[in-house]
Amino acid sequence: MAMPPPHFLDPMIFVPEILFTVIAVVFCFVIYFRTKESYELTKYEGIRYFRGAFLFFGLSYLLRFVFGLLRFSTIAFDVIIPRQMFAFLFILPLGYFSTVGILYLIFGSVWKKFNNKKMLLIGHLAAVLLTIISFVTRSPRTLLWLQTALLVLAVVLVFFLHKKDKKITGMKLLYILVSMLWLINMWIIDERRPFPFEVEIVFRAVSLVVFIIIYHKISKWVR
Amino acid sequence: MNRKRDRLGVIHAILRIVNDHHNSIKPTPLLRKSNLSSSSFAEYYSELISKELVKEIKDEKGNKYVTLTDKGFKYLEKYKLILGFIDEFEL
Repeated sequence: MAMPPPHFLDPMIFVPEILFTVIAVVFCFVIYFRTKESYELTKYEGIRYFRGAFLFFGLSYLLRFVFGLLRFSTIAFDVIIPRQMFAFLFILPLGYFSTVGILYLIFGSVWKKFNNKKMLLIGHLAAVLLTIISFVTRSPRTLLWLQTALLVLAVVLVFFLHKKDKKITGMKLLYILVSMLWLINMWIIDERRPFPFEVEIVFRAVSLVVFIIIYHKISKWVR
Repeated sequence: MNRKRDRLGVIHAILRIVNDHHNSIKPTPLLRKSNLSSSSFAEYYSELISKELVKEIKDEKGNKYVTLTDKGFKYLEKYKLILGFIDEFEL
């Protein structure tokens, strides 16, 4: 009896996944490169964090796709890749890039309130720590839980910092949404696939709409 | 307006002064017209030189003049757009 195709490699899953990845990565990199001139002229820290976040998210979405592809290919084609190799090849860079991406988005809206050098140092140390914990446990799921906790902490921090000046704006919520969608999109490629296919498609569509909104807003100012 | 944002504004003001003087002004009148203290001006001035927004040239008599570089002109041209970008994204 023929085996059913594995989930990720099913064309119904694979085609939207590859389309989503290509569009998301292209938007992230375009946002990064289109803001290059603004940063180089001003060396403004806020712009630095903003574009850095999209560079790291772009790299993370790219790695996420390769990770999903390789992981399910091993199931489909009976190829054995040692868990340690997986952890080394993917959890290390994926953990670091995506954590820095989330942190840079947060830094973009709070950098004026902190000592920048210390904030950067602590941010990178936190990213390294999260990555090491995920690497030691060899589990992308650990990374997801840790990043979720980090995001919750960051949201509380942003709300606390801006509570007095009542500056919880749509843009800050958009940044939180970008980070949340990253986490949801990582859950989508988890082995257990927690969401039905239709819900996955909705999440991907929402993610792309968010990237398009950001790109559209940038286009008004960066010519 | 926060301090960092002010910094962009001060740089813009200094570049505007140079530009308004046919892209050639001596450092002392530039200091006077910028309405900055000597120490602040020195700080901004060295930043402008290091970021290659302005450069110093000397005439035959050895007098020093400040002129805008291509990057300096670009800064003046893009300033409002960059501020718009910073405001829109609350950076």
